[in-house]
Amino acid sequence: MSEDPRDDPRWAQVRAEASRPVPTPPGLVERVLRSVGGARGRHTTAPLDLPSDGGKTQVSERALVLMTRRLAAEIGRDLGGVHISAVALEDDELQVLVTVRFGVTASAAELLRHRLSAALSGQLGSAAPGINVHVVDVHPD
Amino acid sequence: MSDPAPVPDKELAERAVAGDHGAFDTLVRRHTAKMYRVALRITGSAAEAEDVVQEAWLSAWRALPGFRHESAVSTWLYRVATNGALGQVRRRKPTVPLDEGDAGVVPGPEGQVVSAEEVGTVLRAIAELDVGQRIPLILREFEGLTYEEVAEVLEVSVPALRARLHRARVALLAKLRRGPLGENLRPGER
Repeated sequence: MSEDPRDDPRWAQVRAEASRPVPTPPGLVERVLRSVGGARGRHTTAPLDLPSDGGKTQVSERALVLMTRRLAAEIGRDLGGVHISAVALEDDELQVLVTVRFGVTASAAELLRHRLSAALSGQLGSAAPGINVHVVDVHPD
Repeated sequence: MSDPAPVPDKELAERAVAGDHGAFDTLVRRHTAKMYRVALRITGSAAEAEDVVQEAWLSAWRALPGFRHESAVSTWLYRVATNGALGQVRRRKPTVPLDEGDAGVVPGPEGQVVSAEEVGTVLRAIAELDVGQRIPLILREFEGLTYEEVAEVLEVSVPALRARLHRARVALLAKLRRGPLGENLRPGER
């Protein structure tokens, strides 16, 4: 191997950068806990009954929340600047909390809600619950 | 009276698998900062890093029952976050702001995107590296993981990791030599 790059004086800049503290965004832990809590579910909501031929298909709260989150994340990426903070089923409706990039218009939230509703209906049919989108934070990048 | 010793990660993970939600929440509180840090350093974007952390914790929560403790919980969480950040970088595509009047930063292709103000010159140089070099460099030089731990996270052998890290360091140094840092050095240091 050639000489060790870490012996170069410029490597001090790497060490300095490495020692620079990286603050955790305020509220991130709480948002994670809310996401995990939403995925856990409260086990107070009956599974969704989906009409199917010759029987019944049920979707649990956990599966519904995770599916919604996945779909919302994909739509948010397509829209650009829309990030999913948490998803939970409350009062039989899906609550989707999002952060948006500074400059992204409020209509993005409505667009997300519209597309998410269509995507979820595509997966679940008419049994898909209502969706509310809440913009909870704005980020600079 | 001194505080009781913190419950070890392994015990928290076992309790969480047994249904103790509080134990999993304690792991979240304990490890979110470093998962965010590594995600930020890999993606170069605060918003993407938060996405990675959110998804990583949901993945960890779902995968925990299958976790066999063959590595430390923290190493496993690094792996989950690193894989998530890698996926995020690979999914990137150029986007157009929804609001045409928005002069915000538009992400570019992989390896070129660094937009957050907090990302310094060195991180910009690291972000230009191929992710295959960037990730071990971040885990080793920035997170301070041992070679063995980085090898576990990346699921490669230690000799392979050492070779990859050396190439990454050489590549990073070359970028720093070309950048403003190199220009600021005295001729004898070039």
